[in-house]
Amino acid sequence: MSHHEQPLPSRALLWLIVGFVILVAPQWDRLPLWLIGVCILLATWRALAQKGRLRLPGKLLRIGIMLAMTALYLFTVSGRFSVETASSFFVLAVGLKWLETRYSRDFYVLFFILVYLAAVNFLFRQGIGWTLLNLVGVVSLFIGLQVLNAPQLKGASLAGWRRIGTMLIKTLPIVVLLFVFFPRMGPLWSVPMVSNQGKTGISDTMAPGSISSLAQSGDRAFRATFGGEVPPHRERYWRGLILDQFDGTTWQQSQPLPFERPGRVNLDGGIGALAADEYEILLDATNQRWAFALGNSNAVSDNLKPMAGELFRFRRPADTTLRYRLALGSEPTQAVEALSTEARRRYLQLPGQGNPRARALAERLKQSSSNDREFINSFLNKLRTEAYFYTLRPPTMPGDGIDSLLFDDKRGFCAHYAGAMTFLLRAADIPARVVVGYQGGAIGADEEYLIIRQYDAHAWVEAWLPDAGWVRVDPTAAIAPQRVESGLRDAVAEEGSFLENDWTSPQRYGDMAALQWVSLKLDKLNYQWTRWVVGYQGQSQMDLMSRLPGNLSLRELGYVTAGLMSLALLLAGLITLTRQYRERSSDPVQRLVAHWHGLLQRRGLQVAPDETPDRLARRAADVYPNAKKPLRAFAAMVNNHYYKPSRAGEPTDLNYMKRLLRIIAQDMQKGTRRQSSSERKAE
Amino acid sequence: MIAVAKRQWRAWLNRRIPRADSLQFKQSNIFILPTGAGLMFGLLLLIMLLTGINYQNSLIYLLTFVLGSVFVAAMHQTHRNLADLEVTLVKAGEGFAGQSIPFRFRVASKKHDSIAIAFTLPGVVIDPLSVLAGEAQDLNVMVPARKRGFLEIDRLRVETRFPFGLLSAWSWMRPSGKALVYPRPLMPPQPSTPPAADDESAEARTMAGHDHVEIRPWREGDPVQRVLWKRYARTGEMVIGDWQGDQGSPHWLDYDAFSGVDQELRLSYLAAQVIERDSAGQLFGLRLPGEVIEPDRGAGHRRLCLSSLAVFGLPDTDVYGHSEATRVRPFKSGPKPARAFT
Repeated sequence: MSHHEQPLPSRALLWLIVGFVILVAPQWDRLPLWLIGVCILLATWRALAQKGRLRLPGKLLRIGIMLAMTALYLFTVSGRFSVETASSFFVLAVGLKWLETRYSRDFYVLFFILVYLAAVNFLFRQGIGWTLLNLVGVVSLFIGLQVLNAPQLKGASLAGWRRIGTMLIKTLPIVVLLFVFFPRMGPLWSVPMVSNQGKTGISDTMAPGSISSLAQSGDRAFRATFGGEVPPHRERYWRGLILDQFDGTTWQQSQPLPFERPGRVNLDGGIGALAADEYEILLDATNQRWAFALGNSNAVSDNLKPMAGELFRFRRPADTTLRYRLALGSEPTQAVEALSTEARRRYLQLPGQGNPRARALAERLKQSSSNDREFINSFLNKLRTEAYFYTLRPPTMPGDGIDSLLFDDKRGFCAHYAGAMTFLLRAADIPARVVVGYQGGAIGADEEYLIIRQYDAHAWVEAWLPDAGWVRVDPTAAIAPQRVESGLRDAVAEEGSFLENDWTSPQRYGDMAALQWVSLKLDKLNYQWTRWVVGYQGQSQMDLMSRLPGNLSLRELGYVTAGLMSLALLLAGLITLTRQYRERSSDPVQRLVAHWHGLLQRRGLQVAPDETPDRLARRAADVYPNAKKPLRAFAAMVNNHYYKPSRAGEPTDLNYMKRLLRIIAQDMQKGTRRQSSSERKAE
Repeated sequence: MIAVAKRQWRAWLNRRIPRADSLQFKQSNIFILPTGAGLMFGLLLLIMLLTGINYQNSLIYLLTFVLGSVFVAAMHQTHRNLADLEVTLVKAGEGFAGQSIPFRFRVASKKHDSIAIAFTLPGVVIDPLSVLAGEAQDLNVMVPARKRGFLEIDRLRVETRFPFGLLSAWSWMRPSGKALVYPRPLMPPQPSTPPAADDESAEARTMAGHDHVEIRPWREGDPVQRVLWKRYARTGEMVIGDWQGDQGSPHWLDYDAFSGVDQELRLSYLAAQVIERDSAGQLFGLRLPGEVIEPDRGAGHRRLCLSSLAVFGLPDTDVYGHSEATRVRPFKSGPKPARAFT
């Protein structure tokens, strides 16, 4: 197509580059650094070439650059495949395409890639701000398209903004209706993970320092909403993982989850208002399978899979924001089943040697206590009464870490104490395990929900008591009660180490009330956005529909959508018709003449614009002699209406004219039939 | 089969858009379809929707709906961009065969801007045009003329892809005005001095004191006084003396002066002579079979002569190209044309 062979106008190219920069911005922390550099370099090259300062590379150089970059990319990705790597490939493709962008066809190729990139960006970031930025990027592309399609026009950029802006506003109602009513069916097939890189958050191993480094982050882990009473801070132990195997320094799972192909995405669980015993968690992406839940919970939403040890897992790692729902169970009343030998062995596992002083302490305490419960209490008492410190700046404890923690340094974080206590319990022949997760959580704006942040990460202990089963024991609570009563900030207030390395987190400046207020309000806005717009998926739609009258099912929703669409089309058609109606002449005789012309034209008679009615009638009568009379009569009436002054006062008989037209049509129809039959006879 | 369909389509189109020198684009004569890029855009939206479904990502749904609505809005925009336009053939020019003949159009827009309107005619390059609301612009279309006679624009395609190039709205303008194409001027070869007898030239020279006498066969309409009767008596050939005196005696350009030459070539010769005489400011007349233009001079005369040469021998037409013959083609038992876009 010749249309595509025109060179690119500079302003169109500029808008394309602007769109590119905006749309790559949401990925800045995911892209390899070299790729960002390459993109900037190549886009600059292209911009300079447009100004004539540089030449675009020749074919050989281009291929060379392309091969080198692709090799570099493959090396960086090294076989991992996820949306993240795919999207960096898109970015690379756009970067390389800059060197080939000569014609409008290339513009369209880039346009399509960049629009898709905008869609992919939504997989990574879904905040309001990022959403708006993405939209601005797409709008820039559309402005570029307008400039491309009208390069000579002055002020096209400004007019472009206005035009696309008007379009967006005008179509907003339809977009909203579609968004609400378009049936959200389940995923059609299983798709690659959005990302398979680790994220900040709880991991499935615990070395002494691992949780204290997490405590330096003010990032949000999840939000929790309760249908009924919110449990007090000290009861809010969000269990994530059980670590039951100790190798002397690190705790990990003795039975790690077997690898499973990621299932289909199921991000949305829970319909209807929360019952009094229910709570809902809006989890930010962790790229992990484990869910966080309070003790003694039951899964309500179907995207949770209950596991042994009262844990819950997702069928697919949480690679984007995910909502799930649980219910708090009543306290178990039935008798506790005994621990199986296999489980007992697992929860008593200790390395063969190491930490001799701790083992000796365990022996001593066991001697002095009559049962397991007393053992636990006497150890907690020791922690409470002796000079143990809870600190975010623990010393490094090489070698027998537990020994140095308990007897020398006496300074540690929750992970240290939880590990040490589990070790001690096991050494005293009491089955025990480390549980990691979060503890506490701050109340959000208007007390609607809890915000649990990374610094709420916590580790504690569960011990097996034959009469009570697994019992939660938190050594940190014995040393720093504020930690479980009100959170980390108060627990380390004296030390002043709260978020000391996270300058940008508003939580760091807890004493600035205004900042806190703004931060909470923003979080609430984002919460509503995430809950109701981003999270408007399968079950949320059903939820909303169940609140609307009619109680629509997914299939009915499909009908509603189709109905809405056809209604919109019908409306558009009606508007078109009225417009056409308005376009037609207001003179009734003129309309009849137009009708007459149409009649003749359908029969193949050309009507010259300057032809008099008489002449036209004569010509038509030549072809259709049988319609001669009505044709002549009609023409005469038209003439009389317009040109005969004597008749000026009398109204023209429109009905008679209409009747004449009908007769003309019939006669011509007959004439055609006669003609064709006579032709047939002649043959 | 395809040829038949094509012919039917053309016939249907021609009925839908009758020849007229002024065309107001409206619902009934605008066609709109997605371009290649538009189809790709549709495919992209589908892929985006699938991505949204499979990743259960509401914002991708949202973006898809926004872009889909923009596409529909663009359909209206593109349509309106053309719908408000009125194209009028102001003047169909005139010129010589072998040249490009200008057709001047006026392109006016009423309520809305009409941006980036492309006009296409096979073999002709026309720059796209933008007409702001309430304004009008002139558009010159240079149409190459191959042969003399009337030149009409079969179909001028008027198209717009604005704003996004995803949709193309187009229609055809079928102006009825025709340009007049004069024969391609060709200088006749210098007449070689005829190997005539001395007495004949002497005889001609003696004619009533006139110089530069030309001799040609008699034909109907020639005044009897000019017949060289002596020669007729001798040879039986009826010839007349055609002369132009120094004193401004009329010099006739005659169709029959080039005997044995093809008709079109003769017309070309005559055209060249008309131009030559006219530029020399001479008085001249033109004699064609069935038509005589009395000697005169000036631009109007030149035009009259050239026009007569242009339409010479063409069936049943006046100088304005209106045909007397009715262009009738009874509509045979074909399908009734459906009305589209209503």
